[in-house]
Amino acid sequence: MSEIENKAEHGSMDGAGECAAGDPKDDKGLGLGVIFFMVAFLVCFLSGWLLFPKLLYSKHEQPFNFDHELHTAEAGDCESCHFLREDGTWSGIPNLASCMECHTDEPMGETEDEAIFCEEYVAKEKEVPWFVYSKQPDCVFFSHAAHINGENAAGKMDCKTCHGPIGESTSSRPYEENRITGYSRDIWGKNIWGFKKHSWDRMKMDDCANCHVEMDGHKGYCFQCHK
Amino acid sequence: MIQHENAHKFGMVVDLDKCTGCGSCMVSCMAENNVPFKEDETRKKDSITWMRVYKLTNGKPFPETEVVYMPRPCQHCSGLGDHGHSPCVSVCPATATDYGYDTGIVSQIYTRCFGCRYCMGACPYHARYFNWWDPKWPEGQENYLSPNVSPRMRGVVEKCSFCYHRYQLAREKGYMEEREIEENEYQTACTTACPAGAITFGDLNNPEHEVTKIVKPDPHPDPMNKNVVGKSRNPKVFRLLERLGTNTKVYYMSEREWVRKAGDNYLDGEWDKRKNHHGSSSDHG
Amino acid sequence: MKIDRRSFLGLGLGAAAGIAVSPVGVKLTDDSSIWTQNWPWTPVPEDGEITYDPSVCSLCPGSCGISVRKIKGRPVKIEGADGYPVNNGGACLHGIAGLQYLYDPSRVKTPMRKNGNRFEAISWEEAISIVAGKLADIRTDGAPETLGVITGSAAGSMPALFKRFLDAFGSPNAYEMPSLEGNLQLTAATLHGAGNTIGFDLENSDFVLSFGAGIIEGWGSPVACFKANASRKERHAKLYQIEPRLSNTAAGADKWIPINPGTEADLALGLCAVLLSKNLFTQGNFTGGFQKFTAVIQKEYSPTRVEASTGIPAADIEALAVAFAKAKAPVAVPGKGRGDHGQNLKEFAAVQTLNALAGRLNQEGGAFVMAQPEYLSFPEAAMDEIAEAGAGKEKIAGSVNKLIEDINGSDKPLLNALFVHNANPCYTLKNTQRVKDAFKKVPFVVSFSSFMDETAMEADVILPASTFLERTEDVPAGAGLPKSVIGLATPQVDPVFNTKNPGDALIQVAQAMGGTIAESFEWETYDECLEAVAADIWDSLSEEGSVVVAEGVPEGTPAVDVSYLAANPTSVEMKGEGDFTLVAIDNMRLTGTIPAASPFAIKTVSDKVLSGTQTVVEINPASAKGLKDGGEAIIATEQGEAKVKVNLNEGIMPGVIGMVKGLGHTFDNPYVAGKGVNVNDLIGPVIEPGSGLDAAFGIKATLKKA
Repeated sequence: MSEIENKAEHGSMDGAGECAAGDPKDDKGLGLGVIFFMVAFLVCFLSGWLLFPKLLYSKHEQPFNFDHELHTAEAGDCESCHFLREDGTWSGIPNLASCMECHTDEPMGETEDEAIFCEEYVAKEKEVPWFVYSKQPDCVFFSHAAHINGENAAGKMDCKTCHGPIGESTSSRPYEENRITGYSRDIWGKNIWGFKKHSWDRMKMDDCANCHVEMDGHKGYCFQCHK
Repeated sequence: MIQHENAHKFGMVVDLDKCTGCGSCMVSCMAENNVPFKEDETRKKDSITWMRVYKLTNGKPFPETEVVYMPRPCQHCSGLGDHGHSPCVSVCPATATDYGYDTGIVSQIYTRCFGCRYCMGACPYHARYFNWWDPKWPEGQENYLSPNVSPRMRGVVEKCSFCYHRYQLAREKGYMEEREIEENEYQTACTTACPAGAITFGDLNNPEHEVTKIVKPDPHPDPMNKNVVGKSRNPKVFRLLERLGTNTKVYYMSEREWVRKAGDNYLDGEWDKRKNHHGSSSDHG
Repeated sequence: MKIDRRSFLGLGLGAAAGIAVSPVGVKLTDDSSIWTQNWPWTPVPEDGEITYDPSVCSLCPGSCGISVRKIKGRPVKIEGADGYPVNNGGACLHGIAGLQYLYDPSRVKTPMRKNGNRFEAISWEEAISIVAGKLADIRTDGAPETLGVITGSAAGSMPALFKRFLDAFGSPNAYEMPSLEGNLQLTAATLHGAGNTIGFDLENSDFVLSFGAGIIEGWGSPVACFKANASRKERHAKLYQIEPRLSNTAAGADKWIPINPGTEADLALGLCAVLLSKNLFTQGNFTGGFQKFTAVIQKEYSPTRVEASTGIPAADIEALAVAFAKAKAPVAVPGKGRGDHGQNLKEFAAVQTLNALAGRLNQEGGAFVMAQPEYLSFPEAAMDEIAEAGAGKEKIAGSVNKLIEDINGSDKPLLNALFVHNANPCYTLKNTQRVKDAFKKVPFVVSFSSFMDETAMEADVILPASTFLERTEDVPAGAGLPKSVIGLATPQVDPVFNTKNPGDALIQVAQAMGGTIAESFEWETYDECLEAVAADIWDSLSEEGSVVVAEGVPEGTPAVDVSYLAANPTSVEMKGEGDFTLVAIDNMRLTGTIPAASPFAIKTVSDKVLSGTQTVVEINPASAKGLKDGGEAIIATEQGEAKVKVNLNEGIMPGVIGMVKGLGHTFDNPYVAGKGVNVNDLIGPVIEPGSGLDAAFGIKATLKKA
């Protein structure tokens, strides 16, 4: 017998002996292990699904509640306040001066929110520091003009396709900021897996690219959307 | 490669006889594109100048000496055979730079770049610069930064973009007024700044554009070197290291023969042979 | 049951499995990769509506129209204004970098008072009352003529306001810094009578004979000159450049004629002599002894004599004169470099006389003799007895350089107080130590500077000025343009610091002084004053942003009084000893005057001009004598010495050292100052008799290996 065989024999014998000796005790250990496994699995699984999303995002309330529905009823469609400037650049969230085209320093209605608006911002001539749900990082260039004033069907999109039915909302939901990336939750998507049901559920680069491939047959070149 | 109908091919021609070397193009570029500055900018290898004006001399002794200034932005190479494989684009492992087949402009995306600097090694024109340090502006100076170009950060490469944001802004206006943009609506910052009017910028695919009228690019590959496309049919116009087949879109123009000769490296006697065959091009790649 | 390691294994596995089937892993991976692309310390410039506002740049006498691009009212870029009558689009690098001056680290951020060797911040009220108090003392002592003013130029409402202040105060001592416009006015006064200036119609000339004028190095109105120069190619016009060095202008010229430094006047008179002897001249409207002039010039400046001094072969001189005379629309242009410092009247007068002999006065493409624009009408200044007495006194000197010389040469203080506005004499004038010494002999110096520059550092009180982007001011475009344009600079942004329009500061000082001085400054603000005194053109000026006061070829043939040249004034001799001639050179990317070049402009400077913190001088390889390209050397003149680097350059005459102007600033701005040598530390002034100009174009020097 060679040395190697010898060792192998001994080894297997040792193993068998140990196994036989420890059988009953190990059964119990395994059972506890399974329980531990199950408990840990459940805790982590649930916190991964329920707690993690809550921890990942910090919530910021808007300076005051904004009723889109009321404003669209009074002022008209989205373009009344969010419009393309004459040079084709996008005006974005209206500044105080734009609000003051309709509002005065006296509240028009009786809501508490308008009172805050008048006292805190109009009276102090301060811009309202809105949180922008759809805020993209600095490296992104997005042309609203190209998407709503463009040539073909791709250039005649409606606001809802990307922004959802925000115009029908009566209150401002909290702005959720990813603690790691600093981005708005609307960019990565409401769904923690990033699954989307609606076209407006997510605003990542792939979402842009997919639509571009569909419409133009090509996702475009870097500079088309980056600066 | 994607086929584009009505693709543009933006390029420029610089009249070196008009260039005064004043530096307006360099400063206009820096101010337009948020290019930072440091205390010591005399080490030119780490001095970020998307547009850099080089000084060339004919090497002759006093008083036969002549000097010419040559502004050098990114040359926006379309690569061998005009297929979009620019030297830098071909080597970028991060896809941080690509060739826009719709404009002919070579991009650079800072957030995507991880700073390997392969592109700098690949670029034959030293047009790319690495951010060895985070840019710092003296207190208050960041107030003049433009939102149209992202400020860069340490560890990434940057270069001339042919002021792509100006193209974007011109197009937005075009969309607004539901029309194509005009030649004068998209001009780079260096072009508009040049007090001597030495730079002409436009679409080399548009025969109406001034740059095309001056350059008269040959749409057919050079019979002697299939890799070279878009060679100028104007005998006074040349490109830098044209025979490499990088197919740059920045052309230069000069009445002076020594200047045109300085645009490439020639063996003894090669230039004269080539000169005698001008038009039919005697190059062998 | 016993908890053993397997239980923990189970716990760990369970946790891992639980996390694996939750979104945590995917999301954390994605988010952390996005996180790596976050640079929170990198600025994110705020976006907003883009607007463009017109204004006028007053950084140099060029006075170009600019368009300021703003984002939400925040200026982000300066560009040349299309359609502006001076530059019509296009701008120079200094104007484009103008926004950097707003936030310059060396800005004076608040009024300052010197306490010992240090400045301390004070309020505007305190600053004004200190200045008013000191000035009142001077008047009480009955010596109002001991208040002096140095301004950057003589044109526009600001110098006029300072002049008015002196009138009301009782002093004749108003001085301007040397400038091309000043030199042209002096030349015009000598040849054509006072109140005139000279413009050069470069864009219509087919043969420009430039006596070293840096047409593309910042001479005159730079952008207008660039444009005229660039259009030569289409117009088939020629440019001959006469200077010892292959400047950019020479490099772009059709012909470069190297000449011994400082002998331009000889050549100009030599060309006159050839025209006279070959009867190629036009019998114009010459006065002041034309016969004598003809005789003197032909005798003293024969081609062979001129060859001896200029180094240009006699035959070439004759050929050049003939070519000039026979060209369709030739024009000769004086003023080496930018034509401001180190110039002499003899050369200016000789070149203008050459134009006159060739029949080029008031001809298209020639030299225009134009009246200085008069668009400001101030009401008579109120003067009390003290003012009347002081105004009758004689001015101390004829020029700022002579003033400095006289102050240093006098035992008692010639000036008890000095205002400095829009000028940096302690850097710009030659032999800066001499200027600083003179400033130290003036007991009370008030600076109206925007920057803590070399002169502001010598001041006792600084009333900091808002920059051209923060204030209103009329900006007359002068300096060699063939037309007269008045522009209006308007505030593009609220003052970034606690600064004022110097006009407002001066009005407040006047009002604090009370009496007839306050009466002479009855405006509430400078803006109100400007509107009132420029009433004749105000409507169009404020609406259009500029007014063209005079344009096109002036009528008539102006008289040319040649008596100054007929007396054959002596040429200024160079000082010092050494094998080399050091000449100061103008580089478009730097500024030899104010303000100092911006960080962007400094960044564009070649490493053959500035290397690290060392000035690089150029010499011809033929005179290198062991000096190596890139090597260090000591340059020494009778004025001082400095360590420099050497650039061997074929584009300069052997025996000449070229050293750039605009380096060697000593104030607190690491991007701009502490770099290289101020050439004015190495060259001393040489005052030209008669004109009072500092005519030192250079100095003898030695250059040895360091």
